[in-house]
Amino acid sequence: MSRNRITLVVGLMVAFSMMLASCSPATTTPPAIATIPPTAVPTAAPARHGGFLDQIVFSVVSSDSAVTQIQAGAIDTFAYALSSAQLAAIQASGLKYASVLGTYYTIMYNGSTCTDPNTFNPFSDRKIREATNMLYDRNYINQEIYAGGGLPKFFAIQTNGIDYADLADVARGLEAKYAFNEAQAIADIATAMTADGATMDAASGKWQFKGKPVSIIFLIRRDGDGTRLPMGHYVTAQLEKAGFTVDAQEKKSSEAGPIWQRTSVECQWNVYTAGWINSGLSRDDKGQFQQMYLPDSIQGIQPFLSNNPDPVYQQVGDDLANSKFTTLQARHDLMVQALTLSMQDSLQVMIIDTRSFAPYQTTVQISANLAGGIETAPIAFYTARFVGQEGGTLKWGESDLFSEPWNPIAGSNWAWDQGAQAAITGAAFMADPYTGLQWPLRAEKAELTVQTGLPIFKSLDWITLTTADSIPVPADAWVDWNATTQTFVAAGDGITAKTKSVVYYPADMFDTVTWHDGNKISVADFVMGMIMAFDRAKPESAIYDEQAVPYFESFMSSFKGVKIVSTSPLVIETYSDNYLPDAELDVTSWWPGNVTYGYGESPWQVIAVANLAEAAGETAYSADKSTAKTIEQTSFVGGPTLAILAKYLDQAIAANTIPYAPTMGTYLTAAEATARYASLKTWYADRGHFVIGTGPYFLYKAFLTEKSLILQNYTGYPDPADRWSNFAEPHIAVVDITGPAGAVKIGDPATFDVAVTFNGQPYASTDLKMVKYILYDATGAVVKSDVATLVSEGNYQVVLPGDVTAALAAGSNKLEVAVVSNLVAVPTFQSVQFVTAP
Amino acid sequence: MEAGSQAGSPIVKKSFASSTFMRVIKYTGVRLVVLFITVVIAIYLTILIANMGGYVDTMMRSEIEYNVTQVVATNPANRNMTSEQKKLMTEQLISLEIKRRHLDQPLALRNATYLVDALTLNLGHATNMVSDTGSRTVRLILLERLPATLLLMGTAELFLFFSSLFLALTLSRQYGSFWDKFVIAMTPTSSAPGWFYGIFMILIFAAILKIMPFSGLVSTPPPANPVLYALSVLQHLALPAFSLFFSGFFLSIYGWRTFFLIYSSEDYVDMAKAKGLTSRDIERRYILRPTLPNIITNFALTLLGVWGGAIVTETIFIWPGLGRMFYTAIGAYDIPVIVGDTIIYAYLLAITVFFLEVVYVLVDPRVKIGGGGSQS
Repeated sequence: MSRNRITLVVGLMVAFSMMLASCSPATTTPPAIATIPPTAVPTAAPARHGGFLDQIVFSVVSSDSAVTQIQAGAIDTFAYALSSAQLAAIQASGLKYASVLGTYYTIMYNGSTCTDPNTFNPFSDRKIREATNMLYDRNYINQEIYAGGGLPKFFAIQTNGIDYADLADVARGLEAKYAFNEAQAIADIATAMTADGATMDAASGKWQFKGKPVSIIFLIRRDGDGTRLPMGHYVTAQLEKAGFTVDAQEKKSSEAGPIWQRTSVECQWNVYTAGWINSGLSRDDKGQFQQMYLPDSIQGIQPFLSNNPDPVYQQVGDDLANSKFTTLQARHDLMVQALTLSMQDSLQVMIIDTRSFAPYQTTVQISANLAGGIETAPIAFYTARFVGQEGGTLKWGESDLFSEPWNPIAGSNWAWDQGAQAAITGAAFMADPYTGLQWPLRAEKAELTVQTGLPIFKSLDWITLTTADSIPVPADAWVDWNATTQTFVAAGDGITAKTKSVVYYPADMFDTVTWHDGNKISVADFVMGMIMAFDRAKPESAIYDEQAVPYFESFMSSFKGVKIVSTSPLVIETYSDNYLPDAELDVTSWWPGNVTYGYGESPWQVIAVANLAEAAGETAYSADKSTAKTIEQTSFVGGPTLAILAKYLDQAIAANTIPYAPTMGTYLTAAEATARYASLKTWYADRGHFVIGTGPYFLYKAFLTEKSLILQNYTGYPDPADRWSNFAEPHIAVVDITGPAGAVKIGDPATFDVAVTFNGQPYASTDLKMVKYILYDATGAVVKSDVATLVSEGNYQVVLPGDVTAALAAGSNKLEVAVVSNLVAVPTFQSVQFVTAP
Repeated sequence: MEAGSQAGSPIVKKSFASSTFMRVIKYTGVRLVVLFITVVIAIYLTILIANMGGYVDTMMRSEIEYNVTQVVATNPANRNMTSEQKKLMTEQLISLEIKRRHLDQPLALRNATYLVDALTLNLGHATNMVSDTGSRTVRLILLERLPATLLLMGTAELFLFFSSLFLALTLSRQYGSFWDKFVIAMTPTSSAPGWFYGIFMILIFAAILKIMPFSGLVSTPPPANPVLYALSVLQHLALPAFSLFFSGFFLSIYGWRTFFLIYSSEDYVDMAKAKGLTSRDIERRYILRPTLPNIITNFALTLLGVWGGAIVTETIFIWPGLGRMFYTAIGAYDIPVIVGDTIIYAYLLAITVFFLEVVYVLVDPRVKIGGGGSQS
């Protein structure tokens, strides 16, 4: 009997323990940012070249166990960032982490007027859409659904991004105006609904239109990261409070897509939990207003097409998208207007910029991109190290690897695959992880000439910016490619361009920079990249691929010519009609890497071999062509195409092939070709793959089935390991405000001292773009906004004159200071409450 | 009547053999045709379900439009393009993607192609997925995952099958004992799936004790020495295989035990006991033998089940198996992969069913092929 009881107890304990195990505590804590100053000057000149680490070993681990695995020492970092839900666990574990700007979520409305006149779509009324901004508590959503890890969002531009920093005072004012205010929202909705002919049924508390309840079809996404489901439930409750009858339908992306993208005018939906991808650290969000609200949005789907915006907003959005301004101030003014008008339009009510978090050991030091984290930021691999140590093996965890074949032309674009290749590849410029600008990596300097009147501006000294009324393209510049004769087409006379960039490479580059197989980089590598930009899109080409055509046509619509001015040192001029406002981003390097090829770096001989295989119909660079021809997609890293490539390498060796000989023959000798092919043969025999770059690490070995790879420090790398060490952390300003002691007498002036520091030292005023203050009254309305006065380095003063305090009622007010740095894109906000009394 | 009275003569024997042979041939032929028709129907239904009668086309078009637009809009390489340039590129890329996925072809034609290709085992190319080594051929996508699945599922399922079978047999002879009651008490543990125990295993053996790996097929970087590689694979296999094994262990014993108990209480078993036969002889001759068709059926279906993999367990342990691959294929609407995986399962099932019918005849004298079905 006692045994029976024991077995019963054991059985119950097992069942009970299973129930307990399914429960876990949830905590919320504010996010932190691991961060330094962007100067591309080495701090020392150690003997070590390449990366700080001896090896980086990639492996695939489950995101669910990533934190535990780091704690257990199984991995050192999980580069594929974890969602907000795991932020508390990361913080509790004491690990360092980098944040990554993720998807942003919005409540999208169907702004159409229904084809059925008896069906009323309340969100066809802009006033109702606008009012709902106050109906949703973004802070609540952030805390309850995103564990406080997101950024409440009001505008289509990146919250705390570069444009946001520029518009900080306006943005904060609008955020105060549209802050959560349920009662006001319901009242505004009621006013608009009544004006639209709806009536409130007193018994049910629901809106009626022509005798029927105003029913809202709300499509709530239940897939993805799962956060849109609780967000949808919250929004449903709020809409119900406002008197709507909500038909909440939970759907997957594929189920919801055909409805919200295609059935606006039929009114088969009214509200949708939309999600949009963030484009990294964006320096230019001016196109967002057109893209996120207006009928001529690139999105090209019904919700946008059927929106009927205010004509003024349409004009402002289009002017911004089409850069119809000539000065920064004009752009700023348009942006201010657009911010305000976007809130009035509210085709989408922006809810949150989500962030995810990439944890790593406290013994690891690594620089992260402020928006992109560490997974795909080249700077991460150039700076990764164990604190105070050179060498060692870093165990790098990823969510997946080798999701698609690797080739630089049209290969895998998955973040983890691109991340691993970022360590292998070099470039002419290094992206600044904190500002989104770029610094010369292999290039030495650049000149940019722009047509007079274009809104292009420079921030850094390595580039020279000049203007010209007309920019003629030299007659001998290359403007197109003849795939039959395999020669470039010269521009001839009469072509002009809007911009001309000239990139200068150092005189010793061809002696110091080597590919991982030991060959020195050469002009032929650059020219091969140029040819490949054209050849695949030409029907006459042996490697024609229709997948390349859309990209090529887009490129050609603004490309005006390229000219190799000098080969020693290498100087390349590029002429174009497209431009960005930042001069630093308008230079074209033609480096045989991501910029030219798209998905990786490669020496000419590897491309030549892959071209032979594709021309023979055995492989294809792109998935499209591979599928259409039912042949394998070219992979340089493994799989069935390696043997094919090896076969064509032997063929190239036998024939000593000079690819595109009529052009490449000018830049390449037969002896050089022989040497390149021979070293490629040796490389393949030793390494078992064709992935060759010029980065600080080389691909030592890849294990495709096991989903692992080993990167090894490339000792032939020309730069010292600490070249980019000054990017160790971003210079995010710390602001401290000291207000007047006691209450401020209404009508008297009030002085506030503002200290702006970094790491306890005064923040250099030359590194600060703006120190601005915003004064809010007791109701949260903005009373005044202006710049603070510089008193001394790191010390500013805000003086509110008597007439300003006279405008304040007795009570609690708020002074907020916004500090915008030139060194980092993230602004700092700090506020202080003060009391006014008669 | 005459022939019957001359039973045993060569003529009668020949006639009997001839008629038996013809009956077997006929039965076999009919069974094969029926099984083939079943496979055809199953595959066609799979194709119809996989594309939801064509609605998947609409969903895929919407997804393509959304995804391509997002890629063009957010690609840093396109930052300096005008809106018009982006729109044009988006339209062209959408058109290419629709063509690549054959959505520009009539659904009926695609379905027919999928069906014929599947039945002829021309598995073709995947529309979205690639194999671990980067191949887009469905054959390689399946073949590369097969060894890992066979290893994991084979180990777990075979251990589970044989251990539970023999332990159940023993317990059926010890009805009411402590161990019998213990197994009954522990049976609810099987209500939790393998992955549930997998999480605990990872927590205990990998995170706390740090004596086992968290996940993966082999340690990273994989050992170059084949022996060390094999040992590493075994080490990585231990937790997922044990998780699957443990989750089914007690329930399986319980099921077999109950099954054997029924046979243990037959009169002829009591008779054997009365005759003083040993327990071993009773188990082998009087319990196992009559239950052999059921055991073989169960074993064959267990082997067949190995093909399916274990979706969640494979996901938790990052085990590169077929289950995870099939799940990914469903999510990606990769019909060639779904159909490829299903057709092989369907053929294996058909072969197994056919094989079992033959085996029944061999192991159970009560079963007779043809002639109106089984007789006892």
